[in-house]
Amino acid sequence: MAEEITIKVGFGDHFRDLTVRLQDGDIAPWQPDQQLDVVGKRLPRLDAVAKVTGTAKYAQDQNPAGMIHGRILRSPHPNADIRSVDLSTAKAMPGVRATLTVPEVFEDSSARFAGAEIAAIAADTEQQADAAMRAIQVEYEIKDFCVTIDTSMQDGAPQVGRGDQKNVQRVSPRSRGRRRGGNANPGADQQVLDRMAAREKEVSALLAASDVVVEGTFRTQVQTHAPFETHGAVCSWEDGQLVCWASTQATFGFRGELTSNWGQVKASECRVLSEYVGGGFGSKFSAGREGVIGALLAKQAGVPVKMMLDRSGEQTSAGNRPDALQKMRMGVNKDGVIQALQIRSWGTPGSGTGGAGAHNDGIYKLGEVDKVEYGVRTNCGGARAHRAPGWPQGSFALEQMMDMAAHSLDGIDPIEFRKKNDDHPIRVAEYDIAKERIGWNKARVRGGASNICTGVGIASNLWFSAGGGGASALVRIAKDGSVEIRNGAQDIGTGTRTVMGMVAAEELGIPLDMVSTRIGDTNDPQGPMSGGSTTIGTLTPAARLAAHYAKKELLAVVADRKGWDPTDLDIRKARVIRNDGSDTGLSFHDACQLMDDDAIEVLKARPRRNYAGFSDTNAGVQAAEVEVDMETGVVRVKKVVAVADAGKLINPMTAESQVRGGVIQGVSYALTERRIMDRHKGRMLNDDLENYKILGSLDCPEIDVVLVDVYNGKSNTQVMGLGEPPIVATAAAVANAVADAIGTRLFEIPITPKKVLEAIASKKAPDPADKKKGARL
Amino acid sequence: MDKKPEEPPEGVSRRLFLKGAGVAAAAVSVAQLPSDVQATSGAEDEPTILGPGPVPIQLRINGVDGQAEAAPSTTLLDFLRDHQGLTGAKRVCDRGSCGACTVLLDGRTVDSCSMLAIDAVGSEITTVEGIGTPENLSDLQQAFIEKDALQCGFCTPGMVVSCTALLKENPTPDREQIRRGISGNICRCGTYQNIIEAVEHVSRKGGK
Repeated sequence: MAEEITIKVGFGDHFRDLTVRLQDGDIAPWQPDQQLDVVGKRLPRLDAVAKVTGTAKYAQDQNPAGMIHGRILRSPHPNADIRSVDLSTAKAMPGVRATLTVPEVFEDSSARFAGAEIAAIAADTEQQADAAMRAIQVEYEIKDFCVTIDTSMQDGAPQVGRGDQKNVQRVSPRSRGRRRGGNANPGADQQVLDRMAAREKEVSALLAASDVVVEGTFRTQVQTHAPFETHGAVCSWEDGQLVCWASTQATFGFRGELTSNWGQVKASECRVLSEYVGGGFGSKFSAGREGVIGALLAKQAGVPVKMMLDRSGEQTSAGNRPDALQKMRMGVNKDGVIQALQIRSWGTPGSGTGGAGAHNDGIYKLGEVDKVEYGVRTNCGGARAHRAPGWPQGSFALEQMMDMAAHSLDGIDPIEFRKKNDDHPIRVAEYDIAKERIGWNKARVRGGASNICTGVGIASNLWFSAGGGGASALVRIAKDGSVEIRNGAQDIGTGTRTVMGMVAAEELGIPLDMVSTRIGDTNDPQGPMSGGSTTIGTLTPAARLAAHYAKKELLAVVADRKGWDPTDLDIRKARVIRNDGSDTGLSFHDACQLMDDDAIEVLKARPRRNYAGFSDTNAGVQAAEVEVDMETGVVRVKKVVAVADAGKLINPMTAESQVRGGVIQGVSYALTERRIMDRHKGRMLNDDLENYKILGSLDCPEIDVVLVDVYNGKSNTQVMGLGEPPIVATAAAVANAVADAIGTRLFEIPITPKKVLEAIASKKAPDPADKKKGARL
Repeated sequence: MDKKPEEPPEGVSRRLFLKGAGVAAAAVSVAQLPSDVQATSGAEDEPTILGPGPVPIQLRINGVDGQAEAAPSTTLLDFLRDHQGLTGAKRVCDRGSCGACTVLLDGRTVDSCSMLAIDAVGSEITTVEGIGTPENLSDLQQAFIEKDALQCGFCTPGMVVSCTALLKENPTPDREQIRRGISGNICRCGTYQNIIEAVEHVSRKGGK
């Protein structure tokens, strides 16, 4: 059954043949010489009209009959045990219909950050719920706390966790014999420790033997996701079935949590509806406590409950990108080849220790790497996956090390140095595009030579997003000529719905406006979560297959009625044509009318595995140009060139938007965003959008996006996602550009005017002795 | 009694003092207030006490009179969303720093989360729904669609309203003026450049 075909894979001038054994009834990927009518076109998003007119209904906009309002009481203390929660007064307050406590529902009596959930109330109005919340009496046992990794790592620091949980836990290489949230088992861990010691010795020797060693200590801050629509859902029980209009980036995951026997809700049936979602950026994979609380309050109240977080709850409790402290040493030889890299890094995911890793040992050929990484517990809101988890913080350190190494080698150009240590088949072609478009070699007033200095910087990215199994799509062609494609996944603003529709339209041979799309409903076929930039890589091959087989069924009907050969028929531009391109005289609509049934419905799953393809990863290069005022320390990012690839581009316009968005969040991360914790009270001080600074229109650079279309052959659509890759390199490129502009380097983001001025003030005269060995800075 | 209107008393019981900062707006609007909302004491200098229970509030929204019973403490945003079913304007920061709740009040942009519905009595309110409909899009909305000036779409209604106001004030803004014009609106997905292009597109075509 498996058919073997030869396809072309590659991009630009780099194509080669690849033999592929098609699996599970799959069809051949589109080929470079193939004329496509829909795919590859800059088409407006299908949900744009609803969004620009305010008619798109998000979870926050739902208002089912009888709906009441939920509120969560949060801990004001950063580290406390909940002794008791007294709801008696609150329950008697006007309008209160349901209450619960976190110790009862979640069996968790610890509040390990200021903002931790304590209890919840649902009342007829928001004001009533607020008033009742103030009447809840909680008795806390207050403990000392740590809200920074520096305090948490000190000897004798207050314990963040409970039981025997240590504040600092090695997370890579993985501890042996470690139980959930616990410490390593010393006996079982000895082997790992031995291997680590051997590795350290080996890499230290390589560093000592290298011509040049550069080293640096880098710090990145905690960034919050701050999606505009907060987390939560409107929950309603209808005849025993739970319906949740949820703000989620995983409709099926959300349903799974509420129906699971291990969860708190245990609904026998649950339907999650998320047609529009106001952003997620990695923070909305789980139903979260707020989702569970909403469902339970609605059950108790017997009416629908709206349980959306307020902004403070969102900023403190709904996830963040962990900070990082990274110490690195890199050994390089005079020929420009990296020999070895030593990394020690620490980061805080809040009260746990997992998930705070920094990806600082990838992208380039780095020689032998000795890396040890620690998670550090702090009494802060928990981290969650945040757009390319670990990568922007890792890139910030690694890419500056790359520049420092290049400069230490008698000024080898940073781009040439990267090329020497890079073998990515796509990225090697992307450097020159970035170099040319940013004007890399243009004369600039740099190095702190004037009051206003400019500089350029470069950095790379890498991603793995061809998708995988786990999606089905249903295509329905009705007798009246209408076409619908359905998949239950959500579109969090990335353009998933539009791309799914475009793939189906292309395959069916009809324009996009003849296809209607249905998404964000778990009653429809299984779809992926919006994570890992794999959504469309996972979804679109299923969409294309369903469309393909639906078209075949339609053409079989046509062939049968007309006495034609079905293998000689196809549909193009809404006309039924023959293989030689001639028109049969039938339109798509005519063909549909030949059906006996009301409709053809085809449900197809995506093949589980991907083909070998051209490259397993997508790459990218970004170059930034900055202007620094040497007197005020203000950094302005003037321009960012973002060269990006993501397999075959379905819609270059929405792809471009993803890249621009990633760059803007990256600049925001580099210059302004920062969670600020009060050292004395242990609370987040900027749990709003006023003091938590997100880049605005006045600070937004010009962004020049260059998309490289790659026929990667990994699936029938060859699509790779593009949500995460564009944020990886931005802060690093900006930091390198700032160093170029002011002639000294900043090792910490956000790059505030204060830090710039301090760096300029502490800039020491270059010591010629530094040049041979050691860091330039 | 608490005499300082800028420090409202704690708790659910709210009093509205038509004094101090609110007096100008009140003087204009009181005539349009339904009779049972108007001051019952009769004396001009006596404070009018409304609430905490619901009172009838009538606002002119998108050219239509919309009436509902709402607590006097209801913000304009909540009145639009919860009492009129106009959910285009969004509650995002809830304190006037992000612009997602932007509406027009007599042609000028306001953060509807940060003003009371009763303070909008007598004014002409325009929400995103009043700027254009799916069947009858404004030129700007059309340009937003064509330039992909939206991603998740949650800031989009506020952006559309702000850009509409900007173009009304200055039909041919340059890039810097557009940036300034939308500087009160934050977009988390990062659509600023596309929005600027959309406004420029409309400006070039002489539309609105």
